[in-house]
Amino acid sequence: MATTSIKRLKEEDPMDGAEREAKKLKSRFHDDSGEDGKTNLDNSEQLSSSQIREMMLNAQKMIEERKRSLNQPPALLKTAPVLSSLPTPAVPKAPAPSSMDERARKIAELQAQIQSKLATSTLATLNLNLPKTVSVPGSTNEVSSEPKPGPLILNADGRTVDATGKEIALTQYTPTLKANIRAKKREVLKTHMGKGSHQQNEEAGSLTESRFFDPRVAAKSALRTRRTFHFHEQGKFQQVASRMRMKAQLDKLQSEISQIARKTGINSVTALALVAPRIGDRKEEEEIDLEWWDSVILQTRSYEGEDGQPNLRQETITNLIEHPIQMRAPTDPLSLPYLPVFLTQKERKKLRRTTRRENWKEKQENIRLGLEPPPQAKVRISNLMRVLGNEAIQDPTKIEAHVREQMAKRLQNHQEANASRKLTAEQRREKKEKKLQEDTSTTGVHVSIYRVKDLSNLSKKFKIETNAKQLYMTGCAVIFKDVNVIIVEGGPKQQKKYKRLMLNRIRWEEDLVKISKHDTGSSQPETRNSCQLVWEGTTKQRNFGDLIFKLCPSEVVAREHFRKHGVEHYWDLAYSSAVLEETEEK
Amino acid sequence: MSLLSGFAITIDDGEIRRHLRQLGEPVTLFGEGPADRRIRLKDLLAIHGNDVIDRKKEDDREVAKQEKDQSETTWYHEGPESLKIARLWLAYYSLPRAKQRLSDFKVEMETPESTRTAKRQEMVKHMRNMNIMCSQVGDGRPISFCQFSPSGNLLATASWSGLCKLWNVPECTLFHSLRGHKCSVGAIVFHPQATISLEPSELNMASCSMDGAVKLWNLESEEPIADMEGHAPHRVSKVEFHPSGRFLATCVFDHSWRLWDLEQGVEVLHQEGHSKPVYNIAFHCDGSVAVTGGMDSFGRVWDLRTGRCIMFMEGHLKGILGIDISPNAYHIVTGSEDNTCKIWDLRKRSCIYTVPAHTNLVSSVKFEKSSGQYIVSSSYDGTAKIWASNTWQPLKTLSGHDGKVMAVDVSPDGSFIATASYDRTYKLWSPE
Repeated sequence: MATTSIKRLKEEDPMDGAEREAKKLKSRFHDDSGEDGKTNLDNSEQLSSSQIREMMLNAQKMIEERKRSLNQPPALLKTAPVLSSLPTPAVPKAPAPSSMDERARKIAELQAQIQSKLATSTLATLNLNLPKTVSVPGSTNEVSSEPKPGPLILNADGRTVDATGKEIALTQYTPTLKANIRAKKREVLKTHMGKGSHQQNEEAGSLTESRFFDPRVAAKSALRTRRTFHFHEQGKFQQVASRMRMKAQLDKLQSEISQIARKTGINSVTALALVAPRIGDRKEEEEIDLEWWDSVILQTRSYEGEDGQPNLRQETITNLIEHPIQMRAPTDPLSLPYLPVFLTQKERKKLRRTTRRENWKEKQENIRLGLEPPPQAKVRISNLMRVLGNEAIQDPTKIEAHVREQMAKRLQNHQEANASRKLTAEQRREKKEKKLQEDTSTTGVHVSIYRVKDLSNLSKKFKIETNAKQLYMTGCAVIFKDVNVIIVEGGPKQQKKYKRLMLNRIRWEEDLVKISKHDTGSSQPETRNSCQLVWEGTTKQRNFGDLIFKLCPSEVVAREHFRKHGVEHYWDLAYSSAVLEETEEK
Repeated sequence: MSLLSGFAITIDDGEIRRHLRQLGEPVTLFGEGPADRRIRLKDLLAIHGNDVIDRKKEDDREVAKQEKDQSETTWYHEGPESLKIARLWLAYYSLPRAKQRLSDFKVEMETPESTRTAKRQEMVKHMRNMNIMCSQVGDGRPISFCQFSPSGNLLATASWSGLCKLWNVPECTLFHSLRGHKCSVGAIVFHPQATISLEPSELNMASCSMDGAVKLWNLESEEPIADMEGHAPHRVSKVEFHPSGRFLATCVFDHSWRLWDLEQGVEVLHQEGHSKPVYNIAFHCDGSVAVTGGMDSFGRVWDLRTGRCIMFMEGHLKGILGIDISPNAYHIVTGSEDNTCKIWDLRKRSCIYTVPAHTNLVSSVKFEKSSGQYIVSSSYDGTAKIWASNTWQPLKTLSGHDGKVMAVDVSPDGSFIATASYDRTYKLWSPE
């Protein structure tokens, strides 16, 4: 109320100063012209005329200043292009002459003013990252440093007003450059989207575009993604290069070795030597000074004391006999298995006879006591006359029908009883499954390793895989040059069936295989395919899941695959026996 | 009538007697027949209640459980004074030998790597050329064991007929036969100094058999010079001499193994610890440690000086039948009924490799005696196989036996391998 009146008095427009004054005077005379906020002033807050005059003088001064400032800068710009870098608050100092001094001072003043103006200008409020060519009427062409959004002040009319109180026309900047137009559109869209999502949640049934936009769908944006730099870590390519070099060296070494071997003819030894380094990390035998089991009974950490006699700790040697905890053997059954009782035929018959007799006797008792009704007479066509003699004479048809009905009922009961005891298809399937499945947790898993020269025949591969699945066996198959290893795990019956499949049913000899040797590269004459059982035995638990084929490009990969399952020794055996066989053939 | 019809008593006389004993009643009265006994049991059950037998069974079960709980901890008991004497002697014997071995090893390591690898390659080539040299019918019954003498010119075989024979090695002619056992002989072993420094009239050999008899022999007479009693009626599967020659270990089927001091003439140690019969034993070259394998699929390493079990070898699925320690003092190999051999490292106290050795059970494994560069394993699939001891890969398969191969041995100089088989023959193998 009072504040607004004061504010109004402070309002100033550099252009319409006189108008403003006129307005003010008018308002003073028309106190109750119905304008908002104009109320009776308190005595304390009434401004004296002197104060008012003062303020008017101030305002005029400011107007003059402003006019001057706005007129001068364009002229200055032609002389001092340095001014274009506005962000530098430091004024570029010009060397000595007085006129230059004055100019410098003026430059500094102007800079400050321009900065302040730009800071409060409308463009700052819009916060656009524009290339800074502002065409605000009357203002400079300099680039503004960081257009911070200044406070948006509105006067009573609702017009935007800057910090000093002067009305500003909010200028809409319309870019002319295509890139800038696009940028502006993007901005607008962004703000729209931001606003739209909020509004949609609040206003039900708003007709904004975002209702038809599904955020779940990842639609390709109409704009192209910006191509950015992909930075690599320092030294990455050096590492890759060194790795490649090492690999090349190793390969060269290996080929050299094999060449030399062929020349000197020590085949088997080198073949084994080639196999050997691949069998993981064999550390060189360590030299130690003291075995740990001796160190327990020694006083110091050496075998002999100073006098050359073994320095024994006498207290460790006693006549105590240890009884360690006895561990249960893995194949020991946890609960004693009860032997099934086998009866002879005579015993079985006697057993059935006695139980049936007992049941019948009991039933008879109940009938005699009257607890149960006596059973119906079992009438057949043959004893019809005997049982139902009188009634039969009177009405034979009915009686015969009755008897036949009884017979039919008896037959139906019998058949129903049979049918109810019969296994359903599902039960039959389950029974068959149960027969095939074997419990391998208590007695250990039987494992077999087969080695095949060539596994390229798809029908044989299918047979291997499907039989393993149907017999509920686990395992894995590795395809590698001419050492294809198939490992299967299961119970003894399953193993027997699988062995018959691999060694008898599948005719491996039908296939002729061309095996390309590792070192020569030229293919050998065609030989017949074959399959050998490398090993069969038992282990504590299964190491594999369902049988799947794995193609391995090198021995190292194959060994690694087996090592992951903990059974690299299976691969070692298969591979070494293949190598040895090869050398023996030669 | 119908009250008693649901309650049945067995007709089996043996069970009726057992039930009566369980109830604490006299099993048979004067002049009582089986039918009368049954009626008496029926009356007793009617008096005491039908479930009295079950109740008694539960009590028994509880007592058994209490006993089992007691065996959940390691406990000790005092042995004879002679045990302490023996242990002290063993300590003083083994420590210098260990020191010597380690310094020898260091010296050996100083030879350049290339010479060592060259030697190994030589050995590999040697082994690859192993082939059958001679075969001889040993006996009328299957031959269960064979061992070379420490000098390498005699081979001892033991058979299921109870007869042990000594053969000259390259000629395969009978040298001597030893009569005395009444049933199948499990093993016959030479004293470490036999044929080298011992007199032929001294104790040279020991053998054990299925009825628990352990007999000591010399090279002259055909009768045993001594009998060791104390094992019967349990079967003794293996005897083994300590490297010093003073002690003799026996593996007994009462789940224990025993150590006998031949100088003091007593049994100094009766060691339990396996939950099933102990099948085989091997001594460390230093003389400080012994390793036993049992039918419970566990191997145990015992320190002979302190009497403790210092390593527990768990990993096999079925019983361990063959066991041996390498001359390099830290590799142990075990052969088992589950068709695999496992290699254990005594320094690391773990299993370092599993060799899927044969397609039937592995009956015996032996390290090469001088440097432990290869292992020979024999199996019931009729073959013996040679494996390199650095990579554990197969070097050669020695096939030729018709039946199961029951035992294998390597001669001390490495020139021969002998296999004894179920087909009543033994064969010698050597490189061509």
